[in-house]
Amino acid sequence: MTFFTFVTRGLTRRPVRTGLTIVGIAIGIAAVVGLVGISRGFETSWQTGMKSRGTDIVVSNMGRGLTPKPFSATVVERITPLPHVAETCALLVDLISVEKADMMIVSARQWGGFSWKNLKIVSGRLPNDAAERAVVLGKTAAEVLGKKVGDTLQLETEELAVVGIVDGGAVVEDGSVILSLPLLQEITGNQGKINIVDLRVTPRTTKEELTRLCAQITGLVPEARAVIAGDHIRDSQAYRMISAMSWGTSLLAVLVGVLGVMNTMLMTVFERTQEICVLLAIGWKRSRIVRMVLWESALLGFLGGVGGVLIGVVGVQLLVTTPAIRGLLEPELNPQFLVMAVAIAVVVGVVSGVYPAWRSSRLTPSHALHG
Amino acid sequence: MPIPNGDSDWVFEASGLKKEHDDGRVQALRGVDFRIQQGEFVAIVGPSGSGKSTLLQMLGALDHPSAGTLTYRGASLVERADLASYRAHEIGFIFQAFHLLPTFTALENVQIPMFETHRSVSEREHRAIELLKAVGLETRQHHFPAKLSGGERQRVAIARSLANGASVLLADEPTGNLDSESAALILDLIVRLRREQHFTLILVTHDLGIARQAARIIEMKDGRIVSDALNKEPT
Ligand SMILES: Nc1ncnc2c1ncn2[C@@H]1O[C@H](COP(=O)(O)OP(=O)(O)O)[C@@H](O)[C@H]1O
Ligand SMILES: [Mg+2]
Repeated sequence: MTFFTFVTRGLTRRPVRTGLTIVGIAIGIAAVVGLVGISRGFETSWQTGMKSRGTDIVVSNMGRGLTPKPFSATVVERITPLPHVAETCALLVDLISVEKADMMIVSARQWGGFSWKNLKIVSGRLPNDAAERAVVLGKTAAEVLGKKVGDTLQLETEELAVVGIVDGGAVVEDGSVILSLPLLQEITGNQGKINIVDLRVTPRTTKEELTRLCAQITGLVPEARAVIAGDHIRDSQAYRMISAMSWGTSLLAVLVGVLGVMNTMLMTVFERTQEICVLLAIGWKRSRIVRMVLWESALLGFLGGVGGVLIGVVGVQLLVTTPAIRGLLEPELNPQFLVMAVAIAVVVGVVSGVYPAWRSSRLTPSHALHG
Repeated sequence: MPIPNGDSDWVFEASGLKKEHDDGRVQALRGVDFRIQQGEFVAIVGPSGSGKSTLLQMLGALDHPSAGTLTYRGASLVERADLASYRAHEIGFIFQAFHLLPTFTALENVQIPMFETHRSVSEREHRAIELLKAVGLETRQHHFPAKLSGGERQRVAIARSLANGASVLLADEPTGNLDSESAALILDLIVRLRREQHFTLILVTHDLGIARQAARIIEMKDGRIVSDALNKEPT
């Protein structure tokens, strides 16, 4: 028998209560994993999306919405003469309901711009020219919409031909409906408007030059901001709000977990008052009692954390395969994040055990030993 | 009262020992004086509520006296910093209600005090097996307390109290919850172990038949000692 036997025996004596407490923490941690994993996934998905579009700098106005605000296409003419600018590609990107998909990324690109070049054709072809009333679908978008080459796609009031299915190299690209810029401008009544300029810089541009270029563009174009591609999404207020909300909700869930563990540990300490007095009477140090209680609650936290990570990972996987969300984002559930989630649960356990442990350490051995 | 050879022979010395409860509303000990020598067998008798358990708890450092002095082998017990170590190594305590931990087997219960020693896991287990043999419970090692009879539970408790080689055994009505047959067996066991291990035995009882086996009988009433006498012919 080791000291750990005390810890496990303390938890197994009331298996139902222990189980329920673990489930309580697990739900909290699953919420952390789900919400934070998805909001972080949202960020990384956009970033990999931009990377596969070949973008170094994104010029846009990430206002309060999930998609950037439109501005005049003439902005491009002010940017191209700047030093280090190699290429630009104007885009109009929107999140709209497309046929049976409630929300889908519709990404219109300047015809011939570099953002077309990374699309690998899976079947069919790209549009022949800017004027062809046609779209290509990312492979996930095609699946979600149930379309193949030769079908037509209803976009707002227009019927467009699906001429190709493409592999965009990133979840958000694969989840997009891609078409030429003038077509979407016309369909959505946004003639002469764009909301993103993808910008590629000349080779061997340093990070400092990139930053300086961003500042220069932002100064020159008051209606938008230039951000290095990786930082783009963090610039969005909507993203920041989602991120804050997911952490806030998680915090709440974790708090509920803390109260659950604390309640359970207080109950075990109370109902074991006599046993704790016996342990003290036969020579156990108070510190050993404290350690016993803390280890017990840490173990509760750990088991809840592991359970929560499992529930969270499975839940997120199920969620991102639902048609409503499919193709919009890829959850970020890297091992460090999952380990951190378990660590949070252990900390929750220990913190919740502090008060019960303190209570147990204040018992006088004679207290419960009369008779 | 026996006269010791030197100061170090006194295991306990109490003078003016008082214990109050509930802010003085209950006076469990109203000023108690006595000295107990190494190796003595003392019975403490008296009616219920006379303060016997309270006195034993003071000796076992399960609680602090409200006033007076109490020394263990010449040093003040009240001022002692490492009371846990005192409880773990110097004394063994057995209770009327046994107070075994219900979720641990007999063998595990006996090992519990040994966590406060440097013994390894296997040493603890070996010693616990030896102790259970000494109390005649080698076949009951893996039984939980609920599956043991009262007499068997008290045997486990006795083995536990001697786990760290205590030199003083404090027993608070150890046979109070037992039928007369098991009670006699338990008392025989304690007396036999004392003969083998030479520990000082202080035993609270209201059974005069048991008290008569002691070499000295302290009688209490209303929180005071009313008589303290050698038993001329211990049975
Ligand atoms: N924790 C306590 N709080 C209040 N009164 C107590 C407490 N412990 C003991 N007493 C009282 O002190 C007196 C002595 O009790 P006790 O030492 O248990 O007597 P005995 O063991 O001789 O029956 C009794 O009146 C008892 O009710
Ligand atoms: Mg009593």
